[in-house]
Amino acid sequence: MALEDYKADMERCSRCSYCKWVPLAQVKSLRFAQVCPSIWENNFHSYSAGGRLTAALSLLEGRVDYSDKLLEIIYKCQMGGACDVSCKVARHLEPYQSMLELRAKAVEDGQLLPQHIPVIDGLRKEDNMLQKLKADRGKWAEGLDVKNITKEKAEVYYHAGCRYSFDEDLWPISRGAVNLLKRAGVDVGIAGKDEVCCGGRAYEMGYQSELTKYAESTADMLKIAGAKILVTSCADCYSAFKVLYPKVGINLGVKVMHITEYLNELIKDGRIRFSKSLPMTITYHDPCHLGRLADPWIAWEGVEKKVLNQLIVHEPKKVWRRGANGVYEPPREILNSIPGLKLVEMQRIKEYAWCCGAGGGVKEAYPDFAIRTALERIEEAKSTGAEAMVTACPWCERNFKDAIKPSGDGLKIYDILELVQQAI
Amino acid sequence: MALDKKAYEALEEIVGPENISEEPVILDGYAFQQHHGTEQAYGGLFCPRPEAVILPETTDEIQTIVRVCNRYKLKVKPHSTGWGFWAAPSSEGIIQLDLRRMNRILEIDEENMYAVVEPYVISSQLQAEAMKRGLNCHIIGAGGSCSILASTTSMVGYGLSGISTGFGGRNLLGAEWVSPLGEALKLGSLGSGAGWFCGDGPGPSLRGILRGFIGAAGGFGIFTKVAVKLYPWPGPPEMPIQGVTPNYYSPLPENIRDYTVTFSGSWDSFADAWYKISEAEIGYVMGKQISAFGSKTAVAQFLTLSNPDLDNDDIPELLESPDVRELTEELTGPTFQLTIAAHSSSDLEYQTKALEKILEETGGKIHPLFADPGMEELMHVMMIKVDRNNLIFDAAGRFGTSFGIFSIPDTLVGVAKAGEEVKRRHIEKGGLMDDGGESTWGGPYERGRIGGHLEELFQYDPHDPKSWQAAWNYLMDAALTVATKGWPPGLSLLPALALSEEKRAPFFAVAGEVIDLLRWQGRIKRAFDPNIVSDPGHYITVKEAEGK
Repeated sequence: MALEDYKADMERCSRCSYCKWVPLAQVKSLRFAQVCPSIWENNFHSYSAGGRLTAALSLLEGRVDYSDKLLEIIYKCQMGGACDVSCKVARHLEPYQSMLELRAKAVEDGQLLPQHIPVIDGLRKEDNMLQKLKADRGKWAEGLDVKNITKEKAEVYYHAGCRYSFDEDLWPISRGAVNLLKRAGVDVGIAGKDEVCCGGRAYEMGYQSELTKYAESTADMLKIAGAKILVTSCADCYSAFKVLYPKVGINLGVKVMHITEYLNELIKDGRIRFSKSLPMTITYHDPCHLGRLADPWIAWEGVEKKVLNQLIVHEPKKVWRRGANGVYEPPREILNSIPGLKLVEMQRIKEYAWCCGAGGGVKEAYPDFAIRTALERIEEAKSTGAEAMVTACPWCERNFKDAIKPSGDGLKIYDILELVQQAI
Repeated sequence: MALDKKAYEALEEIVGPENISEEPVILDGYAFQQHHGTEQAYGGLFCPRPEAVILPETTDEIQTIVRVCNRYKLKVKPHSTGWGFWAAPSSEGIIQLDLRRMNRILEIDEENMYAVVEPYVISSQLQAEAMKRGLNCHIIGAGGSCSILASTTSMVGYGLSGISTGFGGRNLLGAEWVSPLGEALKLGSLGSGAGWFCGDGPGPSLRGILRGFIGAAGGFGIFTKVAVKLYPWPGPPEMPIQGVTPNYYSPLPENIRDYTVTFSGSWDSFADAWYKISEAEIGYVMGKQISAFGSKTAVAQFLTLSNPDLDNDDIPELLESPDVRELTEELTGPTFQLTIAAHSSSDLEYQTKALEKILEETGGKIHPLFADPGMEELMHVMMIKVDRNNLIFDAAGRFGTSFGIFSIPDTLVGVAKAGEEVKRRHIEKGGLMDDGGESTWGGPYERGRIGGHLEELFQYDPHDPKSWQAAWNYLMDAALTVATKGWPPGLSLLPALALSEEKRAPFFAVAGEVIDLLRWQGRIKRAFDPNIVSDPGHYITVKEAEGK
């Protein structure tokens, strides 16, 4: 659907500001009640989901034209989707989809954010979002005794993603993931230097056609490889495979699982056993793309119609995605199964979790904003009394580590895989 | 009109460049305000654009801003959380103050049961902090996302817990108020240095002047801090919320009970029960909530809320079901929700027995659907946290309110009947959603000692200009009905304030009492605002402000 298709949503926005807060039933304090980093940082109403609906309406009606300020309003947002969850507690509107289409329209109209241009150029040239050489993509797996799925068949394809492929600090996590799978006897393969970006982040930045290109490429590769399951440790990639690919009509032909889902099954089946205790109090950060943005895509094509004069209904019935069906329990079940670990929850969790700050092209375009958003989450984690914050996404981990390092804070940041490895 | 460069620079110097903007796209974010008043007064979905939006952080900054505006002949329009057309400018030449950077709870005095807050503290935040201390605050019907300061100082101020937590305006204790001349006035006991505990002194009490009954809607100075009353909360320090979005629910503690009471269509019995419940001094929350979603559609809509597999798209089919029809029939007309929250086992025994007796005497019945534990737990969150009242916008895209008379139950019953009658006529024309006609919302305040109110809600589609014109036609008919019946204007005054003189003439022709009210408000405003710096447009209009 194009931006114009959401005009009724823009006009029906009640301007209630629910999109700025966690669902009101879930407000637990003064301090941690806000849910949208963009309005939290920028204050003017236009930086909220409701404000963006109005900005889009103004643009469509010709009340405003493109300007640097409009582009900032469009792009200074992590696209974490918490606004969408809070809106849909009471409304049948699509603020998140409208915001995606607003970005797509800006790109289509040639209104590009200068900071994004080198990232997208790099993607088009080198097939990754980190402006690195394609030839170096497989370095993370050097020395690993693992199948190359482009040459050998394997039941499980492990997709590392751009961040795990190029961020050397995080290589132990992606390498550890493969080793864990192998240790559990999983027939796993990787694509190494032939792996390509999922295209999800580019899609969220408004470059929608890039996603289709990479989706088709990965689908072709998996078909040849005969894999049955795609496992990834990257929440961004998971969301792209699970939600965005079906949205653009591409079927990978495999079951898509996040590593936390897959490991949780292996733990439950007794194929991974813990032998060490980790006496530590931790809290868990739900990555947006593993949580609310992993709510599986539900295709709907139909029309809106009115009954009882003005009651808005859809034909056929529209099933609404509200962020309820993300991957919330598997990571928690894994953490709770590790001996010695004590999991304490933050106030903003699951579908209304605060974003780490890295998504939607913000870390690339507004790095300071990304860091401040992370620091807000770190404050929340510390308020629980936890010694460490655990997450399940390399973008979250990178951004938290970038934020915490200069602050000298003692809170430790872990990927869930690191704790699993330590406990074995 | 373009803002004078020197004026902009003077304002920018106060708050810094990052906290002021005159970018059109930013300004439109403040011009868009959902309300039938916007559509009628300004012919679309946008109010006039402010000349600039400014985000002050302190009272000092606000005082300086107001003085600059006096100097440059600009007007100011403040808002806190900013919901409704009255939060937006009414004309050109207005500086919008967005007070969201003033977001602190300054004090919670547990012993004296009050809290001191800044404008951008929302009710849900204050409630969460108060509950940790065994206290609770009044939350207006617009819900938990609204500024607690604005709902006590600036706009009406009734919520369904009014039976035990008062009325917005009466919960206002001390206030800090920047006058339209830029003076910071301290009202109530605060004005004599005695703290925030009392709105009427020792010290200057201007509660009646600064807000009256409806509230000045940001048209009469700027409130920067207020103290609000808190009330005992016998529930847990944090309500345990369970379930999956959007259907959050909370198990009821032993000492809390929720009831949905119906009266077989008898409004007289409804009024009798209201009086008796007030006399018995029972109840924590009481009012018409569910049926406000429409006597025809409420049951179906609430069934969709309690079942994740159902949605608005299922409402037409649900309405065809014999079971739903029966449940709807039982809910039609006079009904209310009542929450009992007891402070001890004997209190619980007293309240439940008193209710049983009242129901016996008035023929009241407990509605079976809402006695279901699942529905009860869902309603419990809605009644205590007021977290989903925005649902009233959902079915058709927008809602409006009419009548809104503040009186005793016998009069309010007449209001409900008149509202239904007028609305049915307009539903037949097709522009309003057919909710069955009867959809009053409201309840008692302060154990019924100062009466209560009912307002007739209606639903329409802002995406369809024919629908918003139909809404307006209904509204004017409703306002004229109020005037003709000789009822106090209540909320029927609000839409008329948005109109040009010509458009509102038919309403004012029969509403002498309203005109007198506006004249008095104009006199008061002129005394405090000789330069008409506070945008009067959504309060009393420029004409009354100028004394013409």
